[in-house]
Amino acid sequence: MALSRGRALVTVPLVSAVLALATACGADGGGGGSSADGKPEGKITFQTWNLRAKYKDYFEGLVKDFGKKYPDVTVVWLDQPADNYADKLGADAAGGTLPDVVNVSPDLSYPLARAGMLVDLDEEKAAARFKDEYTPEAWRGNVLPGLGGSYAFPWYLNTGPLFYNKKLFREAGLDPEKPPRTYDELFGAAETMARASGGKVATLAGTPSIEDFGRYGVRLMNDKATEFTYNEPRGVELLGRYKQLYEHGGLDPQALTNTPEKVGQKFLEQRVAMNPGSAFDLANFKKNAPGLYLSLGITDAPNNTGKPNMYVMGLGVNAHSRHKAAAIAFAHFVTERRNQEDFAHRVAVFPSTKGSLDTPYWTRDDGTAEGRVRVASAKMLKGAVNYTPVVMTDEMKTVLKNEVAKALQGRKSPRRALDDAVARSNHLLGQG
Amino acid sequence: MAGRVRTHRAVSPWLFLLPGLAVVTAFSLCPFLTTAHHAFTDARTLTPGGWVGLRNFREMLHDEQFWVALRNSGLYVLVVVPFTVLLPLLLALLVERRLPGVAFFRSAFYTPVVASVVVVALVWGWMLDDRGLVNGLLRVLGAGPVHFLGDQWLLLLSAMALTVWKGLGYYMVIYLAALAGVPRELHEAAAVDGAGALRRFVSVTVPAVRSTMVLVGALSSVAAFKVFSEVYLLAGPTGGPAGADTTLVMLVQRTGTGLNGRVGYASALSLVVFGVALVLMLLVLRANRRGREGG
Repeated sequence: MALSRGRALVTVPLVSAVLALATACGADGGGGGSSADGKPEGKITFQTWNLRAKYKDYFEGLVKDFGKKYPDVTVVWLDQPADNYADKLGADAAGGTLPDVVNVSPDLSYPLARAGMLVDLDEEKAAARFKDEYTPEAWRGNVLPGLGGSYAFPWYLNTGPLFYNKKLFREAGLDPEKPPRTYDELFGAAETMARASGGKVATLAGTPSIEDFGRYGVRLMNDKATEFTYNEPRGVELLGRYKQLYEHGGLDPQALTNTPEKVGQKFLEQRVAMNPGSAFDLANFKKNAPGLYLSLGITDAPNNTGKPNMYVMGLGVNAHSRHKAAAIAFAHFVTERRNQEDFAHRVAVFPSTKGSLDTPYWTRDDGTAEGRVRVASAKMLKGAVNYTPVVMTDEMKTVLKNEVAKALQGRKSPRRALDDAVARSNHLLGQG
Repeated sequence: MAGRVRTHRAVSPWLFLLPGLAVVTAFSLCPFLTTAHHAFTDARTLTPGGWVGLRNFREMLHDEQFWVALRNSGLYVLVVVPFTVLLPLLLALLVERRLPGVAFFRSAFYTPVVASVVVVALVWGWMLDDRGLVNGLLRVLGAGPVHFLGDQWLLLLSAMALTVWKGLGYYMVIYLAALAGVPRELHEAAAVDGAGALRRFVSVTVPAVRSTMVLVGALSSVAAFKVFSEVYLLAGPTGGPAGADTTLVMLVQRTGTGLNGRVGYASALSLVVFGVALVLMLLVLRANRRGREGG
């Protein structure tokens, strides 16, 4: 059956060409999806967000445990790097290869849900029956404006304390045991720090983000989430105060271009006195900046609303999954109380299942720095909200950041800058 | 038999070309045509969108960021291209001679070309930081600190310097190949006629490598206009303070990617990038033709 030389000459290029074109044009990978009520079976894919490097054993164990419970289901675990995760999701969704169970935050699940690519868990009976296992705040955290239902099983939560450098506070003549708790105190401490260090040490290194406006008490959007409103007087006031801070050296001179990674690096190098973070950062401080770790102070992020910011992670189920019942069963399995608590013990995040945060692990301070952050953060989570509007795209965040920078540079007044940012963001929002 | 041979002769070349053509069609032509189509739609990452005619191009005219990006990309060409045309030629003249140890310098000059742009940009970022090596040296001299990474113009100039430095070795190799073809007799004759080194460079070397200079000019102008990595890595994803260092390709990336990417608008921007790059190429080639005709 071997091909003759002549035929091979014709066939090989022809097949190569057809294959290349077929790959380029790409067959539609989408499908109608299966019923969620059936027996969980089949092969499903599960995608996490930058968790393989540190928690490989945990997830492999989880998949194995699930296999014991549901022997007819095979789970293929995928993990994507942190950078450009949204792009990867977008490419998968557009190409019809979105994993069956996918790690999402509400701002990522929003466009997917709008495009009909995630299961509405409130609508889907097979999923809705688990609703009571999670805290109402966490379940609501995945309810998307304009879409009604919840589109992801609540998974882990996180909130950030503010780390500060006691040594730098002491050197500036500030009381290291009394860190700033209100915005007034924060701006006051920053002025003192800048003056005392001759401008060499800044208190903060990042410009205000949308979460900062939220914590300051600014109304970010209207009730229907159809228009941004952060240009209201309180927003202008906050930006005006940041402008003063920048002019007086309380903000790092490179604050306008600093990325979160650079900000973290400057805190490690003790060039910046305060930095928002999470319990996750402690190991990094201990390993890479032992000097800083010894003089590390931990406090709550300044807040005018009494409601700290909360980051919500969830597991969405692909609406076009060919094994929806298995996907829902697995998403629930990962997020059920026992597994969430187990994960949170390893990762220094917080479970979203009812009653979890009332257990001693999250209520009793064991005297270690990790224990202090854990208990303080768990306490903050009660009543915390996710300030980031889910309809706010990365492009809109860039618009805000750039207009804030113009105000800090003095190229625009704070009012004009926020008016322009809101106008541009509303224009983008209006485009759908 | 003769007919079969004729058919074979006519068909065979195309069959051999077919895989290559298929790859070009699949990975260049198809995406280009898709981009051209999307430019006239309001497509998003997850939705195909509908036909909107010239709306994306009209929006571009009113988009402040577009004009900033166009200015920056244009400036990049104006500043970077003269350096990438002349400096590598001078370097090539230096390392062309067969001197002991010259191979080391050739390799050293070429090293940045093979180094990852991300790594190189990170190193430059550290050096140009307020407390980096460059500001350290300036402090020793009693100057500074200079906010290379905080000022829009210094940031752009730093990125340009990085582009020039990284490209020197690549273009140097092209010039080395061209210089190898310049007859030694021409230099000897000019020297006998009393021409000095500068005169020989202007009257012998430059005319001899003229077409290579045009090639380098064309390649580097298109590359400079499409700059992304250097500015993105030094100025950050927002494109410097208040986005003032954003280039056109950065704007394409910012608007077109992510789950909410405005694919239609980004495609329209891409067409503009393509159009301008094409015009740049044609201008360089035309200048070359005129130069030749002028003798």
